[in-house]
Amino acid sequence: MKKRNLLALILFIATVVAVFMMDTRITRKIQGQVLSLLSPFTHAGSSLEKTVLAKLEDNNASQLNPIDLKRDLDAMQIEVESLRIVSQKYQQTLEENNRLREIIEFKKVSPFKMNAARVVKRVSSTWWNTLIIDKGSLDNLATDAPVISASGLIGKTGKMESHMAEVILLTDEMCRVSAKVEGTLEQGILSGERAGLELRSDLRLRFLSRDANLIPGTRVISTGEGGIFPAGLLIGKVKRFENKDITGEAIVEPAVDFSAIDHVFVVVMQEDEEASTDAPAAPAAAQPTATPGSANK
Amino acid sequence: MVFYPVTLLLMLSTFAVQEFIPGIPMAHYATLLLPPVFFFCAAVAVPFPMMLLLSLVTGFLWDIRHLPTSQTLKQSGAGELLKSTLAEPERLNVGGLGIGYSILIFALLGIFLQGVRPLFKRGRVELPVIMVGITTCLWLMLEYLTITLLRGSLIFPPALWTKLVTDALLAMLAAPLIFLLLYSLAGVSRYEIKYDGLRYTLDGL
Repeated sequence: MKKRNLLALILFIATVVAVFMMDTRITRKIQGQVLSLLSPFTHAGSSLEKTVLAKLEDNNASQLNPIDLKRDLDAMQIEVESLRIVSQKYQQTLEENNRLREIIEFKKVSPFKMNAARVVKRVSSTWWNTLIIDKGSLDNLATDAPVISASGLIGKTGKMESHMAEVILLTDEMCRVSAKVEGTLEQGILSGERAGLELRSDLRLRFLSRDANLIPGTRVISTGEGGIFPAGLLIGKVKRFENKDITGEAIVEPAVDFSAIDHVFVVVMQEDEEASTDAPAAPAAAQPTATPGSANK
Repeated sequence: MVFYPVTLLLMLSTFAVQEFIPGIPMAHYATLLLPPVFFFCAAVAVPFPMMLLLSLVTGFLWDIRHLPTSQTLKQSGAGELLKSTLAEPERLNVGGLGIGYSILIFALLGIFLQGVRPLFKRGRVELPVIMVGITTCLWLMLEYLTITLLRGSLIFPPALWTKLVTDALLAMLAAPLIFLLLYSLAGVSRYEIKYDGLRYTLDGL
């Protein structure tokens, strides 16, 4: 080997060792800076992608068959009617709930407030399932904060920039949630599947008892005992139950359609109870009587 | 020599361009992974020390940009680790890859690609293009196997193969354009893309 090549190889190995030994705080700082440097390109790329997709959709819409449109319209009218009825029922329940709260002097139970954020883009990388949102550390977000929507739990925050953050989706194996099956004593650790890159990939609730007789369709919610996610967040529904060597495993269908997320809510955990009394209500996933519209925007 | 710094700048700019390249939802968000593909192409055109420098820059920036990070548990012993794992399983970083592992993978694949430099020197790009596709596939597979090794249970879901093949095909589609760019750059900067791994010299002639 030439002397020049040998010298280059020694320098290379030394640098690689230095990179591996780098402190986590320093790498996190560099990550934030790189994300910050690339943020104009990320925003520009996202808006360009959205413009192109909107134009393509417009073109497709203009080519639609009038008979199909009429059928869709009829179906939507039926749906609107049924939703109107549901809305009336909901209003009645809400009023009744408020009356009952007044009676028992109920205080807001939500221990957290939320920060609404817009999804900038879905990151197409190698084996990771992540999103980029338009809020960051200057908007009071922190790493490892739960991210939710009206439908349910979405994931947790990762890398932070001043006005941009990465969200590790629930479908990624790195995002683990302590979860339980509603109406049972079954509790386990839920995570995504490896390379679960499908539009709506299933989740796995592990470490359940082998004789757990779970009914498909039962709701799976967070326990609040895992260190990150608060209790009561809807994760999904049991699809089926599998018996493994030692423990049982439930295949869970996520409540959220990860391919169609436009807005998310990042939960800002409150330190003291007093602070939580000023917080707006939790989303439907956490507290059935409130809506995400009440969140901080 | 203008060729090397310009190649390095082009490499850095691929990270900005990557932000404009969307994923294909039906192919499990497979996309053209431009910085690695540019590196694999450049590894054929530059000598060994420059290839190592490029692998260092590409690998480091790729990990910094794409590796998801989360808080890790602070523990100082097996007992404390077990205690904190049981208490806060959501905070446990399971099989997370560390910043810098891509540098090693890129360097290894770069050395592999240096083997086709004689063909590239002669202006033949067929084999280098195929090699870029193969190395893209190998890189993704190595990354997947590393994750599998760290997390346990060998799983090969169908999504894995779809993504691997689509990413490799997209890399092979982009490779000729990148080679053309590198040839043009070499022409403008009067850089001779030559193979000097096996050079015979005769003293006195």
